[in-house]
Amino acid sequence: MLVCLLPASVLFAVFMIVPTVNVFRMSLYTWSGFSPDMRFVGLDNFRHLLDDQQFVRAFQNTIALLVVVTVVTMGMGLFLAAIMTRQRLRGRNLYRFVLYIPNVLSVVVIAAIFSAMYDQENGLLNGTLRLLSLDGLQQVWLGDQKVVLYSVAIAMVWQSLGYYMVLYMSSMAGIPEELYEASALDGASPARQFFALTLPLIWENLRTTLTFFIMSAVNLSFVLVRAMTGGGPDGSSEVLLSYMYKQAYTNSSYGYGMAIGVVIFAFSFLVSLLVSRATRREPLQF
Amino acid sequence: MRRSLVRTGTAVTVLGLLAGCSAGGSGSDSGRTVLQVAALEGGYGRDMYTQVIKAYEASHPDIDVQLQISKSIEDEITPNMKAGRYPDVVVLGQGRKAALTETLVKDKALEDLTPVLKEKVPGEDTTVGDKLTEGIVGNLNTNPYGTDQTYLMPMYYAPTGLFHNKGLFEQKGWKVPGTWDEMFALGDTAKKQGIPLFTYPTAGYLDSYFFALLADVGGEQFYTDVMTYKKDVWKSANARKALDITTKLLGYAAPATVGYANEQDFTKNQQLVLDNKALFMPNGTWIVGEMADAPRADGFQWGLTPLPAVTSGGKRYITTSVESVWVPSAARQKDAAKKFIAYLYSDEAAKIFAESNAIQPVEGIANSLSAENAEFYKVYEDPKVAALVGGFASTAPVEGVDIKATLFDTANSIVSGDTTEDKWQSALNEASEKLRQAGS
Repeated sequence: MLVCLLPASVLFAVFMIVPTVNVFRMSLYTWSGFSPDMRFVGLDNFRHLLDDQQFVRAFQNTIALLVVVTVVTMGMGLFLAAIMTRQRLRGRNLYRFVLYIPNVLSVVVIAAIFSAMYDQENGLLNGTLRLLSLDGLQQVWLGDQKVVLYSVAIAMVWQSLGYYMVLYMSSMAGIPEELYEASALDGASPARQFFALTLPLIWENLRTTLTFFIMSAVNLSFVLVRAMTGGGPDGSSEVLLSYMYKQAYTNSSYGYGMAIGVVIFAFSFLVSLLVSRATRREPLQF
Repeated sequence: MRRSLVRTGTAVTVLGLLAGCSAGGSGSDSGRTVLQVAALEGGYGRDMYTQVIKAYEASHPDIDVQLQISKSIEDEITPNMKAGRYPDVVVLGQGRKAALTETLVKDKALEDLTPVLKEKVPGEDTTVGDKLTEGIVGNLNTNPYGTDQTYLMPMYYAPTGLFHNKGLFEQKGWKVPGTWDEMFALGDTAKKQGIPLFTYPTAGYLDSYFFALLADVGGEQFYTDVMTYKKDVWKSANARKALDITTKLLGYAAPATVGYANEQDFTKNQQLVLDNKALFMPNGTWIVGEMADAPRADGFQWGLTPLPAVTSGGKRYITTSVESVWVPSAARQKDAAKKFIAYLYSDEAAKIFAESNAIQPVEGIANSLSAENAEFYKVYEDPKVAALVGGFASTAPVEGVDIKATLFDTANSIVSGDTTEDKWQSALNEASEKLRQAGS
């Protein structure tokens, strides 16, 4: 039995454990990434992080993105899934298909689509606002420091929404129809049915996807930011992973970059733990 | 049967891996020295390299030059370098996003190429040093540690400055401003006609603007002080003056500028100049090729001017962009690499490069330029205009500090009103001081 586990254990150790331990180890050194000259500095890299305002800003941006994107994606995903499952919508399969498409597209393609949509002069968004005589609402979507993060957030929501909607739809489809019929006889409105029946009965699924989504959103924000804004203007859309990349590879501070990596690891772990604790309930079964 | 298939498959895989591992090493192959050359495929294309290598191999039958060329050459050679397999010659300048050249400079991992300057150009009687344009070596660009040692040999040079539509100026009867007062007066005139005075592709392009401005304001010594992080240099009156001028100029920036100043949309800012929707932008001569197929206003004609003088008749500097060729200290064929680099300055090689508009800093090359290029390079003939080569001095990496980003990227925040000139000056002073301490 143990012999059967050996190949998988070796692969897991080589490709998962060793690189992770290496990130922790490298965060204690100053090193450019090339030079044989590696200097052990203990926790100095972490101390620098506390004084680094750009890191603080990237951290704030990451948290803001996670909160906004998670709340909107999960909320809309649940809402749309409930409508698609409970209401007899015409063309329901078409909606499901259209909403799922972004998940199949490469993130770079999504970045290109949204960059074109956000174009301040010829973009679809400002063009539509002009058409509706809402010129006052036009924005420099990727150039305004107060708006740019939300512009990235919208692209993230668009990319993820369909996938989670489909996941919730499949969970909701498994809830017996009799429960809804009984509650309808008791006079429960669709909204009441959603909060009193649907949500508690898919709670375990929601918990799992929430943790999974938060982790994937950290990665997604990096790719979209790199492709759409490069972290700009002037660092206003920088996120933790893009800042880590810049420090490790552009500023030749590989050890410092790995310290940021450790913070991301700890942060992700902590958020998962918090989400798991905060959403823990007695499972309901049907 | 199945077992034998598995065995065969395993053997093929192992052999394939071994073959893969052995490929790409530099060394001697059947008596011929194999020289690995890695080059960035920039705006000048790749054909010129294959032609130069072909010509070199014809006159050096004992050398086999293997070229690796790509638009993202750093991404391709970095994994091999980390595994200890270094190219022998690398043609790659500074200022790239991956900052490979800068990293190796900071690591002191480049070969000293000072002896190449004394090397005779193959097939010619002159030395490389004698052939190079005066002042092109011995600056912080080629001698990044501020010593007499040259680590980065200058490969191509291009004047940078304020590009504009000469046709529009003729059509409107406007004069290209010679001083900043004239510049801002023109800005007001153009504004009344709905044309913003200024734009920039991305904030990073402000390097050609800032370096020249600092020298214009305070002279070469002040410029060197800034580049070498002299204590409190950003608190000086000269630094404040440079920031004053810049803040005022950014007040005239086209409204679209910041929104398009990213890697994906920067050509839209360049297009503003072609469409007469902005008058000036900082750029280099490569802009002509880069925007060759872009639509343009009737009568459009590229013009290049140095930054206006601070005072009437004052000296004006023009930042000269210089791309580099270097040899990693870990390269295996260093001697052959140095000889190959010497050849790159031969008349034969320079002619091939010039045909692709890659102009090398060798004496007399200006005579062989095409009409449009010759016009740009004429800027050096003005006695009141001096070439400025360099950039920030290299120091040990400082965590979280990137003075180029602090100097250039903040322009976006100045345009959008998200920061103030005072905060900009303070951030520059802080970054400069940290780098000074790292360098001392």
